[in-house]
Amino acid sequence: MSMEMMLATYEFSQWLYREAKLLDDIDFDGWFALMHPDIMYSMPVRVNKEGIERPDYATDMFAFHDDHHLLSLRVERLKTDYAWAEIPPSRTRRSVNNVRVEEYVPNERAVVKSYLLLYRSRSTDIHHDLVSGERTDEFLYVDGEWKLSKRFFVIDQTTINTRNLAIFV
Amino acid sequence: MAKPELRLDEMTREEALQYLNETMKPEEGVIPAYILTDPTIYKLEHEKIFMKTWVLLGHESEIPNKNDYMLRDLAGYSVIISRGQDEEIRAFYNMCTHRGMKLCRADHGNKANFTCPYHGFNFKNTGELIGVPLQNDIYGGKLDTSSMGLNKVTIGTYRGLIFGTWNDNPQPLDDFLSDFKWYLDIGLGRTEMEVVGPPQKFIVHSNWKIGSDNFVSDSYHTMVTHGSIAQLGMVPSATYSKKGYQVHTDNGHGCLIGMPNPDFPFPEELKDEFKSHLTTEQFDLISNMKNLIGTLFPNLSILVSHTKVKGQLISNTTMRLWKPIGPDKMEVMTWFLVEKNASEDWKYRSRESYILTFSPSGIFEQDDTEVFTDITAAASGVMPFAKKLTYNYTMGMHREPVTDFPGPGVAYGDKFSEANSRNYYRYWLNLMNS
Repeated sequence: MSMEMMLATYEFSQWLYREAKLLDDIDFDGWFALMHPDIMYSMPVRVNKEGIERPDYATDMFAFHDDHHLLSLRVERLKTDYAWAEIPPSRTRRSVNNVRVEEYVPNERAVVKSYLLLYRSRSTDIHHDLVSGERTDEFLYVDGEWKLSKRFFVIDQTTINTRNLAIFV
Repeated sequence: MAKPELRLDEMTREEALQYLNETMKPEEGVIPAYILTDPTIYKLEHEKIFMKTWVLLGHESEIPNKNDYMLRDLAGYSVIISRGQDEEIRAFYNMCTHRGMKLCRADHGNKANFTCPYHGFNFKNTGELIGVPLQNDIYGGKLDTSSMGLNKVTIGTYRGLIFGTWNDNPQPLDDFLSDFKWYLDIGLGRTEMEVVGPPQKFIVHSNWKIGSDNFVSDSYHTMVTHGSIAQLGMVPSATYSKKGYQVHTDNGHGCLIGMPNPDFPFPEELKDEFKSHLTTEQFDLISNMKNLIGTLFPNLSILVSHTKVKGQLISNTTMRLWKPIGPDKMEVMTWFLVEKNASEDWKYRSRESYILTFSPSGIFEQDDTEVFTDITAAASGVMPFAKKLTYNYTMGMHREPVTDFPGPGVAYGDKFSEANSRNYYRYWLNLMNS
């Protein structure tokens, strides 16, 4: 791996860790500030297919399929007095790993893949939810910062073992 | 007289049913908490309701082509639903008739034959056994393959909906749906509707009846549970859900119709198609309808929702199954349906509003499941039974049905009522006694 790619991998790993920390700390405004205005935030429905037929996710149905406006609506909703699904907020712990920079144009754009393991605990409930999957993220460089312009999260479960997705992936 | 100090699981079946009849009084609006979580009730429910009645399997548009199939379950048993070469839709128990292995393990696909992964027995999608490896040698040509076809599941369809039943002698589907068809037409048959994408599935630690009950009669909760929607400006006010009608029919079915609506919440260009699918009364109603929420007994809920997204009003249509997988656990399965002949732009926006509001991430859905989970936790264990905790379902008992409503069934001129729940639980209790 070239020195440039090593540094890029480090840089995006740190970006993703910081993002995870903002979400786990319930700093949704801080998190939303990382989004590019062109963000497309998607999570397709995972399906069981015959053999190794691919893709093994739906191309026409999603658990999330949000642009900047819809994503902002979710963030705003969490600030209302009626966002019961997150009152009290879930305790989440996002582990981001296997970060791989697939495409990299310095100070311009990048495509980064990573694994996400998300632990979620609600209130006094002794059950916990685990959401795992792979992200393909695209970044654009704006005013000296990398902003997330596309996220495609492919979950590992076809039946999601969580009561809802009032959280971000 | 059953001994109340006994727990239900210590009673005989007859005693448990007698106790149920003594403690549950739908007519008076008294529903005991234990019916949500008690394992004995859950077992009886499985046998007397889910093994007997019609349950939704899916929609015809999910398997539009010859040899398309999908895997679903009926009362917890895996079922293959296949459209044959002859276009006929059939359903089979997903079990090889030789040694019982599941024949099919993909959610969806296109196949004329199913081959068992255990010994390679091969079945045509008409159910016929057409191939047995080394048959002549090992069975001496004496295996009676004609008696070894797949176990057929009884199905029936209405307006694209595919229902199945394990009952060998079921009430005809038409009779079961009965007057509720009038409302199903509006909700899911107002025009040619198609399911988009696979259904979404997620797990909620909740009793399944809470979902059915919520959709059959509970508009009252929307003010508080969904208060965020009003704050976000997606609906005009917190009490927007009160105006309209609450209607129920025989067999436990019921729905809520939000009215009036100055806007036509559907694609304008499909008005003629709507008229050809609906009666004049149905079309007049839908032209003035804000939303439709209902439950077809036991666990299919339908929803036509109308909200403002990105400054534009848009409706979306969904149906959902509250599938029991334990007394305190269900799998929620939700489908998005759209007018097949609508513009691509309409379809996109309608799907967008569905994902935002009633998918697993939906900002309506997520607050409901939070409530369902906590209700279930509060009803669990021996205490709610021992202390005889009950729910109050008396709302609207002082009201008389209206006489000028155009649709069949018993209609009330206010959505805030629990009449539909009383009707739902009355039928539930009837079946439990059957």
